[in-house]
Amino acid sequence: MRYHIQNKIYHVELLPPKQESEKLEKDLELFTKKYKRVLENGYCACITDNAMGNLSFQGTEMIDVLGLPVEPEQVMIHLNTFHTKENLDEILNSCIDMGIKYLLVVSGDGSERLPKLKPSDIGITGSESVTSVELLKYINREYPDKFVLGVAFNPYEPEDHEFEKMERKMAAGAEFVVTQPLIEKNPAVDRLLEKYPDVPVIVEAWMSKKLHLLSDAVGYTIPEDEAYDPIETLKMLHKMYPGCGVYLSLLSFKNHFDLLKETWI
Amino acid sequence: MKIVVCVKQVPASNDAKIDPVTKRIVREGIKSIMNPFDLYALEEGIRLKEKFGGQVIALSMGPPKAEAVLREALSAGADHAILLSDRAFGGSDTWATSYALAKAIERIGHVDLVICGKQAIDGDTAQVGPGIAAHLDWMQAAGVMEVQVKDSSIIVKRMHEEGHDICQLQLPAVITVVKDINTPRVPTLRGRLAALKYELPVWKPADIGADPEKLGLNGSPTRVVKTQPPDPRQADTIRIEGTPKECARALVHELRLRSLI
Repeated sequence: MRYHIQNKIYHVELLPPKQESEKLEKDLELFTKKYKRVLENGYCACITDNAMGNLSFQGTEMIDVLGLPVEPEQVMIHLNTFHTKENLDEILNSCIDMGIKYLLVVSGDGSERLPKLKPSDIGITGSESVTSVELLKYINREYPDKFVLGVAFNPYEPEDHEFEKMERKMAAGAEFVVTQPLIEKNPAVDRLLEKYPDVPVIVEAWMSKKLHLLSDAVGYTIPEDEAYDPIETLKMLHKMYPGCGVYLSLLSFKNHFDLLKETWI
Repeated sequence: MKIVVCVKQVPASNDAKIDPVTKRIVREGIKSIMNPFDLYALEEGIRLKEKFGGQVIALSMGPPKAEAVLREALSAGADHAILLSDRAFGGSDTWATSYALAKAIERIGHVDLVICGKQAIDGDTAQVGPGIAAHLDWMQAAGVMEVQVKDSSIIVKRMHEEGHDICQLQLPAVITVVKDINTPRVPTLRGRLAALKYELPVWKPADIGADPEKLGLNGSPTRVVKTQPPDPRQADTIRIEGTPKECARALVHELRLRSLI
């Protein structure tokens, strides 16, 4: 992951089409275009896993069915705890077969329609439920040295609690961290960088104008009419966190993608 | 095994309104989904097919747009799907609906097992599965939470308020299933794409040899004289019992399941 930061490789979030899509073929075409554009520009495509609990198609399945190219340094798959054991192993084995090594391991958002891993499924005892920590342990135990595993950091959670969780994530084998979206310098992220100086940290930049969603992420309401310029925020993050990578969520490919090249200089 | 799974398209929202004149659910403008209990019926059918071979046929009766739930069934792993759709089916109560479905099952032919969800979340009657069995004069079990196949019969664990029964049913048979029976799979992209291309047969009363007098309002002995939606639920309540430690663990588990912590 250090390689990504040194070589100014943006992490660009890609959301696969939803299962309920009524224009699936069009959505797949759009996904393919975005994915290829990310790779052609030398960035890393980060494919989400049923984000917000919405039923979507799996990243590895998308790559397989759509015949998309995989460059090991340019693909990251999100993996959450809402899978059957069989499905989880299928995803992990597909990643190995395709040469995907970067996984962002998160607890994830559930829904009634999604199965949830049980501790017994992955041989965990002494835990009542599976979180990213248990999932990390499982992957490291069953698939040693196959993946580079990242975890999420939420600077809007009570700080001590979040750092206690981070300690467990690190002990379970986390090798890089991706934060929740930042819109200004954040003391919890500063503390994270200080506490784990050797761990690559990727800060998330909110690239959408949908401020209500950003409000949900940051935990306080940002007025909808407040001027928000994603590119300015991105520039600010580069200035504030020069040693960090950047994860771009909900990037507008139409308005902002071409501006990226001039942003991280 | 030749397995028919009956699926129904229902309104997704709890905000469904009732037409004061027709007493029917107003479906316009409301998102439709597959009846949640039918997902479990479908999963069980697919699992039995995967274990014992054969085929799964998804069957539904409804307006043309109900084909969406049949395509969903195909993407999850059903081999075929059939839609019963015609104005003559409109207004059918559970008796007329189960008659039409039974006639379609006869037309499909050589069916070993029919699986339905325990009830539909719009009507909540739980009558169609047993109605199909009555029309076909087959054995039936409702509220099934486990199925085992033994020679030409199935052994089912049937849930009821005071526990469960173990019943043996000679095939062909009809069962309705509860959520405890399995965890439904999420359709794959490959399955979804194949389902988009599937040419879905739409059967009309003549195709299934149905007597028009037994369909629709004419064939429905029940008349709904008054319907009103239930009071909206304010919140779900889960009662957790046990020692403080057990309760705390269970609480954390429930909160994590909902991604609240």
